[in-house]
Amino acid sequence: MNPFDLRGPEFLLFFFVLSVLALIALVVTRKLAESSAAPKLDLSDPYLIAYLRGAEPETLRVAAVSLIDRGLLVASGTQLKTPDNTSAEAVRRPIEKELLRRFKRADEATAIFDDSRLKATCKPYEQTLKHAGLLPSESIVGARWTRLLIVCAVLGGVAVVKILIALERGRTNVWFLIILAVVAMLLAAKISFPRLTESGKAMIADLQNLYAGLKDRSLFLRTGGTTIEPMMLAAVFGVGALESADFAFTRVLFPRAQAAAESTSTCGSSTAGWYDASSCGSSCGGGCGGGCGGCGG
Amino acid sequence: MNADRFGLGWRPLLAAGILANLERIDIVEVIADDYFRASRPERRALRTLAAQTPITLHGVSLGLASAVPVEPRRLNDMARLCDEVSPRFWSEHLAFVRGGGIELGHLAAPPRTEATIAGTIANLSRAKQIVGVAPQVENVATLIDPPGSDRDEASWLSAIVRNSESTILLDLHNLYANALNFNFDAHDFLARIPAERISTIHLAGGKWIGRHGAERLLDDHLHDVPDPVYDLLEAIAARAPQPLTVIIERDGNFPAIESLLAQLDRARQAVARGRACAITHEVAA
Repeated sequence: MNPFDLRGPEFLLFFFVLSVLALIALVVTRKLAESSAAPKLDLSDPYLIAYLRGAEPETLRVAAVSLIDRGLLVASGTQLKTPDNTSAEAVRRPIEKELLRRFKRADEATAIFDDSRLKATCKPYEQTLKHAGLLPSESIVGARWTRLLIVCAVLGGVAVVKILIALERGRTNVWFLIILAVVAMLLAAKISFPRLTESGKAMIADLQNLYAGLKDRSLFLRTGGTTIEPMMLAAVFGVGALESADFAFTRVLFPRAQAAAESTSTCGSSTAGWYDASSCGSSCGGGCGGGCGGCGG
Repeated sequence: MNADRFGLGWRPLLAAGILANLERIDIVEVIADDYFRASRPERRALRTLAAQTPITLHGVSLGLASAVPVEPRRLNDMARLCDEVSPRFWSEHLAFVRGGGIELGHLAAPPRTEATIAGTIANLSRAKQIVGVAPQVENVATLIDPPGSDRDEASWLSAIVRNSESTILLDLHNLYANALNFNFDAHDFLARIPAERISTIHLAGGKWIGRHGAERLLDDHLHDVPDPVYDLLEAIAARAPQPLTVIIERDGNFPAIESLLAQLDRARQAVARGRACAITHEVAA
């Protein structure tokens, strides 16, 4: 059966199915091409993880909260200010230095999202993540374009041939087919260029899985910069995950981050099997109160 | 070149501290049983962890120290996980954990007899056959002297490792607790086991329980490593020239990660002192 001999409605149905299959193929081939074993990353850098999860805005949010946590920035309502006795040289990372310079004069916290100099300090994170295959590098983007062009060529080619045949046969009711082809190609373009590679998405999911225990006790995290835990939590789950009263300022400074956090659910922590008497997947019942004879392990 | 490694037991609540300090942590020990029935995302997360740092898998439910053959399905679980995450090694306890269809929920010390030695060796052979590599075997802490035993723990442990391919994962707090609870000399124990077969050391802490006059040291993994355990570590480092892996286990009552890292540093220093002592003795000889 030659599909080009199908009548109008039947051909539209055929073209619709072909488009769906082409879009599925596009997604599947991209996922296969962009999946790889997890790379080694510097997981001591919360800004790198924040960039992976949410690009410049998330990185800048986490950096600002980190500076506030350490007393190097002061939050007052929706504004931030670098204390007069704090120098940009007090910190090591370029993004932190730039934030301290930016708020020498008090300003709205959300101004960080429009500051090109601040955004520029995030560039190294982007490069690192591209190099690790977690963000699309130029070669990955090139491959995405190639796949998209193939799909568009197939869909467009089939549509053009059918239109030419229809016109040759004196039929001009080809607009549905044109619209369907354009919509399919627009959809193909839209799904071809996600911000993250498949490996990048997996890395975020894996980190959220590994840090699930930390999220479970987010209510108990304190400010003061004594541990890296609050910043890792913010990096992996978003600033909105800092739920303790100590971090209430984040909800005033970055209300959209809070709203985003509330709209997402968390992954469960790993559950142990039969032996997991403790709350944390340990090899022995840490919470047995001494009456169980210890763990012996 | 010294290839000693120093690491921590992976616990979800320690994740941030561990992942943020991988330059000070050489290896991470994961409880294998937590992942036997884990979802695909959880197992993938474990692979991601393994990509960041060397890991070892530590089993708690095989019950190798028993005259009863270990079930192949349990070994298959371990084999699959080992294939998936490529640990540096895997380990299990010299304990029995079930019998007569009853799960004890506890790592129980078996009677130290010829029968349990033979049963354990057979189980270790099965484990090697199915997993591909023999496990390191860990001494357990016990609050009661196993009834029916006809020999002490040092002889029993030595007989097992001398007649199997397994090496020893020596839990020094278990040894320390057993020595205090049953009134023997831990250093004498060290002198009687084959030092050259020790591969890994566990460090942990515990607390005293029981009424006055009948106290027992409980190995609860909820407290810091006590000083005498570092002394035992130093003694082993002096006797065992091979590379050692030293893991601190902490199951709850978690201190700040800095405290655990400081204990890891103390372990490094203890091993270094032991190594230096061994060299001094060699030169003197």
